[in-house]
Amino acid sequence: MADPYQPRPPFAPWDRRELPGLFDVEESARRIGAYKWAEIKLFEALGGWVATVPELDVKMRLGTHCYKHAWHAELWHKRLPELREMNPDRLTKPANDAMVRFVEALTEPEVPERTIEKLVGVYRVFIPHFVAAYTFHKNNTSEITDAPTIRSLHFILQDEMDDWREGEMLLQSLIDTPEEVDRAAAHQARLEKLMVAAGGIAGPGTIGGSAIQAGGPNGSRTHAGGVA
Amino acid sequence: MRKFFPVEELARDQRFHQITMKDRMADPRSALGTATGERQRSNRLVPSRPDASQAARALMHGIFVGEIQALEGAGRTCHDFRTQGDAARRAQDEAHGADVDDVDDAVPFALKLDMARQAWDEARHVEISVKLSDWMGSEIGEFAENTVLFQAACSTDPILRLAGVNRALEGLAIDVFTTMKEFGGLAGDPFLEFCEDWMLADEVTHVKMGSDWLRKVTEHDPDRRKKALEFQSVVDKLFSYGGTRSDSQESPIGLARRFRELAGFTDTEVEEIAEVSLAALDERKAAVARMQAAAAVEHTLATN
Ligand SMILES: [Fe+2]
Ligand SMILES: [Fe+2]
Repeated sequence: MADPYQPRPPFAPWDRRELPGLFDVEESARRIGAYKWAEIKLFEALGGWVATVPELDVKMRLGTHCYKHAWHAELWHKRLPELREMNPDRLTKPANDAMVRFVEALTEPEVPERTIEKLVGVYRVFIPHFVAAYTFHKNNTSEITDAPTIRSLHFILQDEMDDWREGEMLLQSLIDTPEEVDRAAAHQARLEKLMVAAGGIAGPGTIGGSAIQAGGPNGSRTHAGGVA
Repeated sequence: MRKFFPVEELARDQRFHQITMKDRMADPRSALGTATGERQRSNRLVPSRPDASQAARALMHGIFVGEIQALEGAGRTCHDFRTQGDAARRAQDEAHGADVDDVDDAVPFALKLDMARQAWDEARHVEISVKLSDWMGSEIGEFAENTVLFQAACSTDPILRLAGVNRALEGLAIDVFTTMKEFGGLAGDPFLEFCEDWMLADEVTHVKMGSDWLRKVTEHDPDRRKKALEFQSVVDKLFSYGGTRSDSQESPIGLARRFRELAGFTDTEVEEIAEVSLAALDERKAAVARMQAAAAVEHTLATN
């Protein structure tokens, strides 16, 4: 048996986690507040739509997915006070007015004949943008200082990917004609334009780009308004 | 999307046939049995009943459509009520005509999380019920769907909705699943017994959520609590289905006292529901007697 008193490196050779991260505590809390708001809007929409879709399999999936996004919102709600935000409601808000407009357009389809539009909004626009925002956050935050956020992101991304696949398969099973392809594409384009105007779930800089500014001890940080 | 959803618009595929409570009670296949001939001493759903298979299938279909409505109800609660502190939603609601002074539509975030959890549970119950119905030899749409559950339970006041959905409707589900679980045990159907046992665990959780939130939200508002409890007893009476559920053996479904206790009902509340259910049974029996007397008079006139 190896001598337990023999000095060992604090980080095992296979542990390549790094300290630098793109977000400071304040920026992390801001992003997480925007994620929480968006997850709330998504689970409210899914729950509300259950009664409006005639397709039984879709109805059951919406009910199931509704809970997953509520749970994501709960994880973010619990993370906020750990980021010095003792009043989680303060930061639980849309990234900007364009995000509010996006959610309004997302939830606009209501009649039973518009299941395709409802699913397109969620599974071809909103959820892919969640996947992008969360992946960017996971890959750019400090792997050591922000480990609790990364752990939540792993769980949440797993759900998002599973639901994305399920929703996409439901859509493919519902879209039968060239006209329905056009309907889906037109609705996707309309919502995508609104999302582009919002700059993503957490606003401009959601997945980096020009809103990323250099600064901070770890090399750089992000601010939606471009202020470092 | 509108804030409140009318029961007439619940979306269904073409297999479903929706009816009112009145139509339901007039259905000769109603679980309470036929209105003609000598009434049975016991109507409790047990395998020895001559019509046990058909009655169990009918009840299973009733559970299936009830689960769909419970799923829709829980989903609507996630959507219809604003989360406390959601200023953007408040502005949106006001833009759509909400009263600026009316703040009673806001509910705690944790309450909405519970409702979303319930939506998932109810979605699983629909899945289970579809598979059980198939196992028991019936098809989707074989029996009509009574939409009274959604109609009665979906109040526009969140606390009344909690009382209606989570205490009255879900309380009824506890009674139904207990009876169905016992039926599965007696009939030697471990598959049915197993599934009902799992669903029963979820329903006890849902009623407990209702009991806890009702207490918490109305802690400093005794009037609101009183109003909610009154609403619940009205819904409970409606859900007694003209005597379909009571302590009496004449009712196909019993009152699951022990599980109701676990779910946060007090002894007094259970006694009140027992009384309301028995009164509903007596009312139904009197109505049946009146129908039989009228039929006898008609028969006498026709043969003379
Ligand atoms: Fe249920
Ligand atoms: Fe339930």
